[in-house]
Amino acid sequence: MKTLGVDVGSRYVKLAAYSGDEPVFAEMADTIAFYTACRTPAGLDLRRLDTFKNRPFDFDRIVSTGYGRYNVKLSGAEVISEIRAHALGATYQTGLSDFTLLDIGGQDTKVIRVRAGEVDDFVMNDKCAAGSGRYLENISRMLGVPPEEMGNHSQNPVELSVTCAIFGESEVIGNIAEGVAIGRICAGANLSVAQRLVALVRRFPSPAYVVTGGVAKNGAVLEFLSQKTGAAMTVPEHPVFNGAIGCALMHTARVQ
Amino acid sequence: MKRIGITTTVPAEFIFAAGAAPVDLNNIFVAAADPGGMVERAEADGLPRAVCGWIKGMYGAALSCRLDSVIAVSDGDCSHTRTLMEILGEEGIHAIPFAYPYDRDYGLLKLQMEKLAATLGITFADALAAMRKMDAIREKLHRIDLMTWRDNTVSGFENHRYLVSASDMDGDMERFGKQVDAFIGEARERAALPQKIRLAFIGVPPIFTDIYQFLETRGARVVFNEVQRQFTFPSDTDDLVERYRRYTYPYDIFSRIADIKSEAEKRDVHGIIHYVQSFCHHQMEDVVFRKHLSRLPIMTVEGDGPGPLDARTRLRLESFCEMLAAKRAAKAAS
Repeated sequence: MKTLGVDVGSRYVKLAAYSGDEPVFAEMADTIAFYTACRTPAGLDLRRLDTFKNRPFDFDRIVSTGYGRYNVKLSGAEVISEIRAHALGATYQTGLSDFTLLDIGGQDTKVIRVRAGEVDDFVMNDKCAAGSGRYLENISRMLGVPPEEMGNHSQNPVELSVTCAIFGESEVIGNIAEGVAIGRICAGANLSVAQRLVALVRRFPSPAYVVTGGVAKNGAVLEFLSQKTGAAMTVPEHPVFNGAIGCALMHTARVQ
Repeated sequence: MKRIGITTTVPAEFIFAAGAAPVDLNNIFVAAADPGGMVERAEADGLPRAVCGWIKGMYGAALSCRLDSVIAVSDGDCSHTRTLMEILGEEGIHAIPFAYPYDRDYGLLKLQMEKLAATLGITFADALAAMRKMDAIREKLHRIDLMTWRDNTVSGFENHRYLVSASDMDGDMERFGKQVDAFIGEARERAALPQKIRLAFIGVPPIFTDIYQFLETRGARVVFNEVQRQFTFPSDTDDLVERYRRYTYPYDIFSRIADIKSEAEKRDVHGIIHYVQSFCHHQMEDVVFRKHLSRLPIMTVEGDGPGPLDARTRLRLESFCEMLAAKRAAKAAS
């Protein structure tokens, strides 16, 4: 059976295709570009994506999740919530069945407790971008430090506000004006994200912690999370595609 | 007929006994054609952004409808109400304070009621006569509640709509009683509703217009509206003072927890939605609820301005319902 999982996130749309248990491809597109390319009078048509220019669109099942999940109007497409998609993706990718999952996305963070392979409970961040990927992205742009380098900084963090993403940015400008080293500011931003997350993670103490989403690629955030929780953070092979993988594999026996 | 505004549930028996119509400003606000406009007006007049939407809505409602005075709950609700009372006074709306004593002192509560009776020019006996009339309607509301959780023929929103109106009986006891009768007659003919997941809704009534309806599209129905049910005075005492002593909402959280626990058990509830209002002191109660109600999954939902659910809250509710359905399926399989 060929399956396609689609995670329509706030920043990127992630696609994961499988043939049975075997991965076929995983690709992502900018969310705005995705909507522009795929919009048709009848709804969104995935076939118009560059991904399918030189590939057949021959899936037996398509499952979508994410904010735009209901817009992906394709015949036979199934819709599941992000909580379920991420829990399934992490279960599949790590082989664990009892763990707490932190999915740190573009605009929100989900902390999900999985027990015996099922979602047991979950919390999400409140209506604020502090502690999300978007916050780190803004700081990286302001500092001119590429996102992939942000995670190299964990030494001697400068103190930044953890209460508001916007005020956090003005604090960064203040720090630059005072001549604080860029590395320390990056470390401070990473620390403030971790601090924000720890408050959510503490709700669900667990034998294992799994981190997914774009921020899972930030080593400094992971380091701070480990320091604050006293536990190791497991990052699966494809942290960014975790939700799409959960969608693609929800019908296979191995996940269920 | 005089129209007397109220900021939350107060002993409306005294208002009816005085031949006046109680007007719950919350209901006027949320049922208005443009509730957002009332909040905007309050903010344009200088009320801060970081103040609860219900307070700003009540301010807008009080200024938009003709009122002779307002009974404001100065103790047993939030301190914003006190300031609201003073601001409305500046606008020429006479405010009558009413205080629920935090320690549920019988004598103090009785004194408050006697003061209210004197202010309205009636006797305690007049209020008792009004209580008996109101009780006839409250009994019908209890019937609606029973039809919600036992017969499963009443939706969560219908339960909310009728029970929340118990605070002022839409300002006209007789007309409201007839509406309730007509509703019961109609609902009695229905088949049981299909939703399998049973939810409790705790906390202040929601500012969202479609939360109950949305939940029902996800296979879940609210079978217990905590505070709205309290507005109908479910305790069976005929002692008017005692009745407002047993009313849980204005007092400590622990009597509310006891009430929630016993009703959730009786109604076979699978999960709890704790609704909190942005910038409201009740938000802090989440910590205590989570500690004492840990037997059931709880989802805390926050609302700010009036209107439909936002995409993010819909996602959270949807995931919550999905999780409850999976738990039920796993339990049935084991």
